[in-house]
Parts: sequence; structure tokens; C-alpha cells
Amino acid sequence: MNRYFDRFNMRIGLALAFAGVLAAADLPKGETLLDKYIEVTGGKAAYSKMHSQMMTGTMEFPAMGLKGKLTIYSAEPDKQYFEVNFEGVGKMQEGSNGDIAWANSAMQGPRIKEGGEKTESLMRGKFNAELNWRDMYKTVETLAMETVDGKQCYKILATPKSGNPKTFWYDKDSNLMVKMSAVTATPQGDIQSDTSVSDYRKEGDILVPHKMSIKAGPMEISMTVDSMQINPEIPKNTFDVPDEVKALVKKP
Amino acid sequence: MSHRSCALVLAIAGATAVAGQTVTLAQRSANIQSFEKVWTTVSDKHWDPKLGGLNWQAVHDELLPKMEAAKTADEARDILNDMVGRLKQTHFGIFPGSVYHDLDASSDDPEKGSGEATPGIDVRVLDGHAIVTDVEGGSPAAAKGVKRGWEILRIGDTEIPPVVKRIQEQFKDTTLLYLRLSRSVQSRLEGSDGSTVTVEFLDGADRKVLIGLDRAKPRGKIAHLGNMPPLPAWSEWRKLPQDVGYVRFNVFFDPEGLAKTMEEAIKGCRDCRGFVLDLRGNPGGIGGLAMGVAGWFTDQSGLKLGTMYLRGLTIKFVIFPRAEPFRGPLAVLMDGCSASTSEILAGGLKDIHRARLFGTRTAAAALPSVIERLPNGDGFQYAIANYISQGGKPLEGIGAIPDEEVPLTRRQLLEGKDSALDAAVEWIQKQKP
Repeated sequence: MNRYFDRFNMRIGLALAFAGVLAAADLPKGETLLDKYIEVTGGKAAYSKMHSQMMTGTMEFPAMGLKGKLTIYSAEPDKQYFEVNFEGVGKMQEGSNGDIAWANSAMQGPRIKEGGEKTESLMRGKFNAELNWRDMYKTVETLAMETVDGKQCYKILATPKSGNPKTFWYDKDSNLMVKMSAVTATPQGDIQSDTSVSDYRKEGDILVPHKMSIKAGPMEISMTVDSMQINPEIPKNTFDVPDEVKALVKKP
Repeated sequence: MSHRSCALVLAIAGATAVAGQTVTLAQRSANIQSFEKVWTTVSDKHWDPKLGGLNWQAVHDELLPKMEAAKTADEARDILNDMVGRLKQTHFGIFPGSVYHDLDASSDDPEKGSGEATPGIDVRVLDGHAIVTDVEGGSPAAAKGVKRGWEILRIGDTEIPPVVKRIQEQFKDTTLLYLRLSRSVQSRLEGSDGSTVTVEFLDGADRKVLIGLDRAKPRGKIAHLGNMPPLPAWSEWRKLPQDVGYVRFNVFFDPEGLAKTMEEAIKGCRDCRGFVLDLRGNPGGIGGLAMGVAGWFTDQSGLKLGTMYLRGLTIKFVIFPRAEPFRGPLAVLMDGCSASTSEILAGGLKDIHRARLFGTRTAAAALPSVIERLPNGDGFQYAIANYISQGGKPLEGIGAIPDEEVPLTRRQLLEGKDSALDAAVEWIQKQKP
């Protein structure tokens, strides 16, 4: 009796072990999934035709009833300008140019980002970051299959050359990214956030997510894209570091 | 001091209910949905998942049948307030939806109308007496000759001393007493723009004087911020004769307006002997503005006012120094109507040894909160975080403690003195240039 039981157990054990090996072997490599994301959202050629972007949208803190108009400009190779204007709070700006990353608001004044926050901002400021992901990450590893919002997803851990690792979930069927989890460095401390990404729509030749829902502790933030222009005419001086930020640069 | 002092905190925490009416089936359903919303929000979002050991499920099970049986909107609101009251923390409360349009519906005078218009008087209750602590220049009260130090005996038909006495008894054990006392008088002075309120004063010679005061729109710009009730916001600065800069603002709203005032003050008084930041009567507002204001007074990077603890998130209140901040002596004035962000700023500046505090202890109501509308139309204010000042102590229930205790007195006000400001200026003058 025991002998049969042991054999039965052994077979289950072997089967499970074998299944595990199969499952691991079945998971596509992280590199493959990131490349495939480029492919399904438009392909390398389409991305390569983009040299700058302008996006307008809405940023909202639903629990607080706070809604603001969002504008983001970005351009090759590493320029970015972000502006959101909330009623009652005023304009909040951020920018990076590959060398300096800064922020400015009526609430907290101008500041130059430093340390981990600067590293991450400069990384985010790289144009076509999705296409050039190999420049940012030293490893990308597929960890598992997980269900996100009812969809089977590949879970990928991407470890950047500097800064905190990020976790991405790619829909098994569409290969579109549906979720991202990261720890963001800020002067107020590291902030863990989960971001749901959805509502992919074509802008030019590229599929772009038009909705992001960010959860950081009890705070929820939603961002929606209202319009997007590829290779637009960008107003002169958009990427200039504001004078009040320049004034913070320590003189020798 | 602000004539709209303490409005936000008390309006939210303690505004009384509108007249009760029997609920319909739809309202009953909305009340029950509101009940579940409040219960779940606290359960999911309170920074302490254990709620300090309170059996939250038992609270739900005890109060739900009462909510199901509630016959009026007032009753339903009382039950919700009972629920959040079990937490024994400030910044948790239910207030009628009408508060969004009428910050304080409590009135003994049906003729006063709704609104935030005011005769331009700021009031504190000192030693059990409602005393005029400030008369706004150019206001109806100023035009009628009302003076600082006068006592308010009656507003409309309401005798004020008994009101003060009742509130003192009701709130004798809370640090919010000073705030509630002031607000109870202030709210009776407010009403709709153009309406009139009759006030009986005891003047400087202790004679009873009856004056009809018009109400005018409150000073400042009406600031809107999400679900918060709109508030008038103003800021001002001047250079005192003793070569000291003086800044005050009534609320931590309108960041652009405040930043402009701060910038002008620092530029206009860069070489002054010191600065006074007057937070008396300031009920708080946007927490982040505490860091912003502090940045005008230090050139040292990496300083923190304190740390906020939310569920799953910790935020350090880091000060970002401005390009050319003021580095000289800094005094902060405060009183029992300085609440929330005011306490965060005052307490933090004291903890990092950047400022010396003058006046009286703050309201000890420093928990950051948000306001949501409930399915039944009521407003639900709930705290989302705990806050520990940089010195390692919570401000909630303790408040920011002055370095120099300088209480206001009627006599000094009648003599035209501002004892806390005088003490601050005197201290600044003793500091090395």
C-alpha cells in the first residue's frame, strides 16, 4: 500500500517538477517581449520616424476632486518638459535636458533634482525610450505568468543600469503592457507605485496608451491623453531651464 | 489675525445640521450607501490598519441597524459622526452638503442669510470673553468705529456669554476649545453680502454700545481646491518700523498668490534685522505649502519639517531652499486657531531650530485630510495620514508649543498693543545683526 502511495506521490512530484521546467522554458525571454512590444505598437521603423512629441491631457486626483490640464513636450535625444495646471494649486513644471533635471511650482518653488531622482528623470527624459530600452536596462527577466485585470500576462523584471528596478506586465495575447510597478526616488522618500495602462489608440503610426491609473499608498492619480502630435512645431525655449532654476546652480 | 480665522476647520468638523426631514426610500438607500462608504474608507485608507485596536467591524455591526432605521437626514448624519467619532481623532467628520455653499449654516438669526460676508472683525475668546482682536481696514466695522479690545456681548438676538460658556463646558477637554470658541462667535457675525447684523459691544470705557454692521464680501480671492469648500485667501507683508519684515496670510491656499507675497517680502526686506511670520488664526490648507514657505527662510538643503505616514506611503516634508532666502532671525506667531499646515510649519521650523515661536499653543489638529461627497450628498472629511514633526513628536493632540508663551489680553488690545508681535520684535532686536 505504502509502496503504491509512494510511487503515486513520486509521479506527481516528477510531473510537477517537469511541468515547472516546461513552464519556465515556455516563458518568452524578457528581451523578446520588450522587442515584441515595439513591434505590436508600430514597429522600429515607425518609432524611428518620430523625433518629437506633444501630448495634452488631464491629470486627476479623484478622491480630492482635483483635476488639471497636462502638457508634455519631448524631443530627441533627451529633452522633456512636463506641465500640469491645477485650479487652486497653479502651474507645476518639470523638465530635463540630458544634463539637468529640475522642477518648479508656486507651491514649493524651483529645485534641481539630485541623486536617484535625477537619474530616473534623465532616464525618463530619453526620447523613444521604449525603442532604445537596451540602453537603459542591464537585464530584463521574465519572472512568471500572472493575471492582471482578468488577462494572462507575462511579468518582467527590468533592472536599469542605474536606479530602481521596474516590473512590467505584458498581455500574453496582445503583448501590450498593461501594468507597471516601480519605486520612484523623490526627495520626500522612495515611493512605491502601481500603474495600470490601458486604452491604446493609434497616434500616427504608433499605438499609444491613453489612460494611466497610478496608485501610491492611499493616493490614486489618473492621467488621460486628450491629444497627441507627432513631430510637432515645438515653441522655442520650451526645453530651456527656467531662470529661477538656473539661479539655484551653486556658483563656484 | 484673520477675520475668516478657523473657518475651514470648524465648518468641516462641527457645522450643525440643516433642518431634518423624513427620508424617502431613495434617501434611505443613499444613507446606507453612505454608511458603507464611510466605514470602508476608514477601513481601507486609515494610516493605521489596526485603527489603534478599535474593533471596526463591531462598530459597523452596531451602527448599521441604527442607520437602517434613521428617519431623518440629521439622524443619519449623527450616526455617521458617531461612527467616525469612535476613532477619537480630529479631521474625521460628516457635514451637510449645504456647507459647500454655506460654510456655516448654524445661525440664530434667520434674517442673516447664507454666505461668508463679514463686518470685518476678527474675534478670539479670551478668559471667557469674546474680544475683537482685529478690525480690517476699510471694513464696515472700521467705518463704524469698532476697536480692538471691545467685547462682543450680543449678536442679533443671541447673548454671546452663555454661548461661550456652553462651548467651554462641552469642549473643555479638547485642544480645539479655543478654535471652536472663536468660530462660534465668528460664524454668527457672518452672513450674506449686504445683510446687516446688530452687535452689542462693551467698548474701551466699558460702556454698552449697539451698532448695526453691514456685512461685506470677505477680503481676498476666493480660492478653489478640489472638493474643499471655496475659501477666501489673502496674504500681505510689510516692513515694521523696527526694520523687521512681517508676513501674514489667512490660509495655506492660493500658492501663486502666496509665493508672490513671499517673494516681494523677502526681496523688499532682504537686509532686515529679522522676519515675523504671523500664523495666528490660520487654519491650514495645502500641506505642501508648509515646505514651500519654509524654503524662503533657509539655504540649507535636506532639512525636513517632519514626516507624514500614510497607509503604504511615507512622505518626508523636505524644505527646498529658494535661490536667495532670508537667513536672519525668524519669529513665528501662533495661537489656538493656528491649525493643521500652520502647526506643521511652526512646529517644524522650531524643531530644526530655524524659528522661535511666540504666542499660545496651536490647535493640535494637524492630521492631513481629504473631503469626499457621499451618496446622500453629505460631505465626508477623513484624515489620511499621521504626521510626526521633525522633533519626533506628533502634532495631533499636542500642537506646536511656543518658546515664549504670550497670551493676548483685552487690556493690551485696548492699549493698541500686540503682545506676541511685540515680544517677537524685541527678541529679533536682541539677536546679533
